[in-house]
Amino acid sequence: MKFSFESLLNAGGSRLTYGLLNLRILGWILYGFTRPGILVPSQILSQVIRIGVQAIPMASLVSLSVGFILAMQSSTELGKMGADSFIPDLVSLSLMRELGPLLVAIIVVGRSGSAVAAELGTMKVNEEIEALRVMAIDPIRYLVVPRFIALMIMLPCMTIFGNCVGLVGGWAVCTLEMGMPSSFYIMRAMQRPELWDLFSGLIKTAVFAHIIITIACYQGLNVEGGAEGVGRATTSAVVYSILWIIIADTILTGLFYFVL
Amino acid sequence: MSPTPKKTNPSSDVILEVKDLVQSYNGRAVLNGLNFKVRKGETFVIMGGSGCGKTTLLRILIGAQKPTSGSVHLFGEDITKASSQELDRIRLRFGMNFQFGALFQSMTVGENIALPLQEHSQVDPSLIEMIVKMKLELVGLTGFENFKPSELSGGMRKRVGLARALALDPELLFSDEPTSGLDPVMTAVVDQLTLDSTRKIGVTAVVVSHDMTSCFRIATHMLMLGNGPRQGEIIAEGTPDEIRANPDPFLQQFVRGEADGPIAFRLSQDDYLKHLLQEG
Ligand SMILES: Nc1ncnc2c1ncn2[C@@H]1O[C@H](COP(=O)(O)OP(=O)(O)OP(=O)(O)O)[C@@H](O)[C@H]1O
Ligand SMILES: [Mg+2]
Repeated sequence: MKFSFESLLNAGGSRLTYGLLNLRILGWILYGFTRPGILVPSQILSQVIRIGVQAIPMASLVSLSVGFILAMQSSTELGKMGADSFIPDLVSLSLMRELGPLLVAIIVVGRSGSAVAAELGTMKVNEEIEALRVMAIDPIRYLVVPRFIALMIMLPCMTIFGNCVGLVGGWAVCTLEMGMPSSFYIMRAMQRPELWDLFSGLIKTAVFAHIIITIACYQGLNVEGGAEGVGRATTSAVVYSILWIIIADTILTGLFYFVL
Repeated sequence: MSPTPKKTNPSSDVILEVKDLVQSYNGRAVLNGLNFKVRKGETFVIMGGSGCGKTTLLRILIGAQKPTSGSVHLFGEDITKASSQELDRIRLRFGMNFQFGALFQSMTVGENIALPLQEHSQVDPSLIEMIVKMKLELVGLTGFENFKPSELSGGMRKRVGLARALALDPELLFSDEPTSGLDPVMTAVVDQLTLDSTRKIGVTAVVVSHDMTSCFRIATHMLMLGNGPRQGEIIAEGTPDEIRANPDPFLQQFVRGEADGPIAFRLSQDDYLKHLLQEG
């Protein structure tokens, strides 16, 4: 049987289910590597800035706070057992494996996922999506794929950056408040995590990025019924993204815990 | 006489052929078994009252919507059965001017017009910029390249939509009420643009309109869709002269723009009086 990427590009014809959206994104990305001009770097870059770079201040603030919180909360309990020296381990492990990916993803859902759903939804209501189709420009290639690639690149970067900012938060509490030497904090925080701890977090991040952007685009492209529909789609995008992020997180954590 | 007439085969210059087209929404037939043909070089005007299904018809003709039943042959291919790839190929040959513009709000006027050129032609950017300027000049909007659609008036948006539809120099232009919301001078300008495109460049135009002056100015062929009790059927079709001469009261009311007549938008004045007195 002959298989071509082209057949993925229009899988399902005019219907657009969530599964078909994923197939078509995959098709366009694979197709884009074989043919220049399909993936436009300037568009991907502008999306990187809009849905990634502009969310960094908020993600940093949250990560910094989480670093503070983790260090303060653990110091009370670990301090009772005289295990103060484990605080840096705890901060860096929980950030890398769990809290960094999760919190940055949730910030990005609220800031960028909702924006993408609202933007595509408004375009649908304005017949802009229709106009693209009539000009023989595939909306998935032109609108969805650049956003998809941008978030798949940016969410891991933002998560790593957020982890670093969180570690700074933990450091501030440990050194300024508990009098731990900076060198000790840095040594423990850097030495304890293995490469896998970082990777397991980044695997989660990649899955979260996929969830966020596909759900936002799917909700946006399927808007019906004017401004009210746009509002509903935006809400759904946020609610479903968070729901699926938490479910995916549970499954992945379970997988890493029991299987690997 | 030669037994084989060669080039005057009438079916060869048919660009668009609609057969038994039906579109119903929730069991209500908005278009009910339409049949018509558009030939190369014609300016085919579709008239009809508000809500009679003109936009719906255009959406079906451009393949944006699948009809409930019937077929639409565009450039000889049935677009109701075409795959997306085939549709895209056909779509490069026509332009569509939407009723409400459908401009990309996030882009400037210039970028809107440049987009089809960037996507579908290998022309270099400086030439694209020039073509954009030319198209804007055509619709009387020189100097507005860097405006966002939200900074334009409704009529200006319509003209940008028209410029965008003409960007790739299509063989066939669909235009949904290109002159509604324009002042008389601009209406004349847009009509002249349609005339120039069709008569001089040879573009075929399918124009929806209910501005009678404008209709008779540009049309070479007219089609009137019915609404109310005659929803979904073709009331009359023919050249402008045939339409003027057609005695159908429904058509004549529309052409003359009279409030009373068979078009049941409201009760007639007598019925209205009776209706009021009965209630009282
Ligand atoms: N998606 C839809 N679902 C249900 N009914 C629809 C839908 N789209 C259009 N209609 C109905 O079809 C009819 C024709 O609508 P259409 O937009 O084609 O009218 P129109 O002739 O373009 O009117 P106007 O001159 O006011 O633009 C209307 O009665 C409308 O209620
Ligand atoms: Mg209409």
